[in-house]
Amino acid sequence: MNIYLPIAEMSVNAFLFLGVGGAVGFLSGMFGVGGGFLMTPLLIFAGIPSAVAVGTESAQITASSVSGALAQAQRRNIDYRMGAVLLAGGVVGSLIGVEMVKILRQIGQFDLFISVAYGTLLGIVGVLMLAESATAIRKAQAGMAVAGRRSGQHSWIHGLPLKIRFNRSKLYISAVPPFAIGAFVGLLAAIMGVGGGFIMVPAMIYLLRVPTNVVVGTSLFQIVFVTALTTVLHAVQNQTVDLVLAALLMSGGVIGAQIGAAAGDKLKAEQLRFLLAILVLLMGMRMAWNLIAPPDEIYSISPPVGAH
Amino acid sequence: MRGRGNQSRLVATGTAIAVAFFSVVGTARAQQRPPTAPATEVRETVQADVSTRTVAVTSSFTGVEIVVFGAVDNSRQPSAEAGLYDIVVVVEGTPTRLVARRKSNVAGLWVNTHSITFESVPSYYAIVSTRPLDELADPLVLRENDIGFEYVRMTPIRGWETGVTTAELEDFKSAVVALKQRDGLYIEDQYGVAFIGRSLFRASIDLPANVPVGPLEARIHLFREGRLLSTYRTRVNLRREGLERFLYAAAINYPLLYGLFTVALSVGAGLAASTVFRRSGH
Repeated sequence: MNIYLPIAEMSVNAFLFLGVGGAVGFLSGMFGVGGGFLMTPLLIFAGIPSAVAVGTESAQITASSVSGALAQAQRRNIDYRMGAVLLAGGVVGSLIGVEMVKILRQIGQFDLFISVAYGTLLGIVGVLMLAESATAIRKAQAGMAVAGRRSGQHSWIHGLPLKIRFNRSKLYISAVPPFAIGAFVGLLAAIMGVGGGFIMVPAMIYLLRVPTNVVVGTSLFQIVFVTALTTVLHAVQNQTVDLVLAALLMSGGVIGAQIGAAAGDKLKAEQLRFLLAILVLLMGMRMAWNLIAPPDEIYSISPPVGAH
Repeated sequence: MRGRGNQSRLVATGTAIAVAFFSVVGTARAQQRPPTAPATEVRETVQADVSTRTVAVTSSFTGVEIVVFGAVDNSRQPSAEAGLYDIVVVVEGTPTRLVARRKSNVAGLWVNTHSITFESVPSYYAIVSTRPLDELADPLVLRENDIGFEYVRMTPIRGWETGVTTAELEDFKSAVVALKQRDGLYIEDQYGVAFIGRSLFRASIDLPANVPVGPLEARIHLFREGRLLSTYRTRVNLRREGLERFLYAAAINYPLLYGLFTVALSVGAGLAASTVFRRSGH
């Protein structure tokens, strides 16, 4: 069944996008990530203009994250105070990001930036997570106790001011690092059309040492609000949010997210991280390949920014 | 199947019109004798119309085929197969601004390095003719009338000369045409116009699903022995209808409301799924 997308101005197969939405939603619920790092490239590969892919994907992440966040809230897996600090940073980052998208599109380097950003970030995060989770899995199999949170360990983070007690995370740390992480993630949300879970989850685990069970819910909490804001900003600034496309992705996505959340409960945390790491790495490599491989077509055409 | 039905109907009307023309022209020619005196000759003209004046782009829009049909007034060819006349139908979309970019390899990475902004490029360009354009008329005539992919009107914005040579501009222009062709927005059918009588002809033109919405201009050129005799212009309106129109208008005119509505829908969808699953799941 074909359906016409009013903003992307093209006719697409509705079932294809429902299916993609469902599959990505499943992963989103399972790993506690928005799934945007998979969805946005997939949409671009499917021929959706990259700006429309980024704008529309924000809306879809909001939907799948709401259901994911609620599922986590029912399991009491959200640190709301931590979430609020991350969110405050996210708002600042998102505002800057939407402006950056506009400038990058004007100078014609948006696609380059997206490929570099995806390749670099997903590459680094993927390798780090893969190494860490592989070690954790090996230790678990060898019967050794998985090294838990070394609460006694102090790092430079503990020297920062504005300390806040995060009860649910059992942490007493400065608000600056979570704010900075939130801001960085908000920036990525606006530029890359991602929720930013693939950065936020490891950052919270390795930098802030937030307990793994709280990380997923808290990151989803932040993602819901930041992507909602990003959607509105993209709609106002760039008119690149396609409601019909969003509805298709959402319909599949919200259902997938619920199934994914239940499936995630059955897997061990280090196994989840291992699988996520592989996914992250693959997508990063795919995007980096765009830059290195000789393109089929060295020319490209697009409408100038602001002439919609 | 549907197309064939149309065709047979058109053929039927075509023969009827042709018969009518034949009798009129036939008697006229019988009275004024030798056709060697061009002064007294009645010049042929072309008249045409499109099957659909307004195309509605709705949520089920998957492209459409429009039929251009017309007649040569004062046709002098004895039959449809005589090939005395050539018809070229050009359907052009709204001129739009467009940026063309070219990548080059910078330190191992493929990066956009050169670009040209065109003030106006037809969003869509279909060219359908009775035979290949180069057999049909002189390049000069074709250029003068913007007929053919080489002569599509593309004006770069002022100041394009910075960093791009004239030769490169031509490369950019042909790249734009090639890319538009790849997207199915620039189409050519060298034998797409068929005479179905002494004077009646028809041509069908594909408007693909990705055709940019806006008015289309159709030009129907009549040639005889490489000479342009007559041109007829008509329009096709491509309009958003129904939900598509409403959503598009909302996105452009009320972007804030549109954005908030999208978020509300997203949150609603998430909540709904969550509720359904809580009931059924635990």
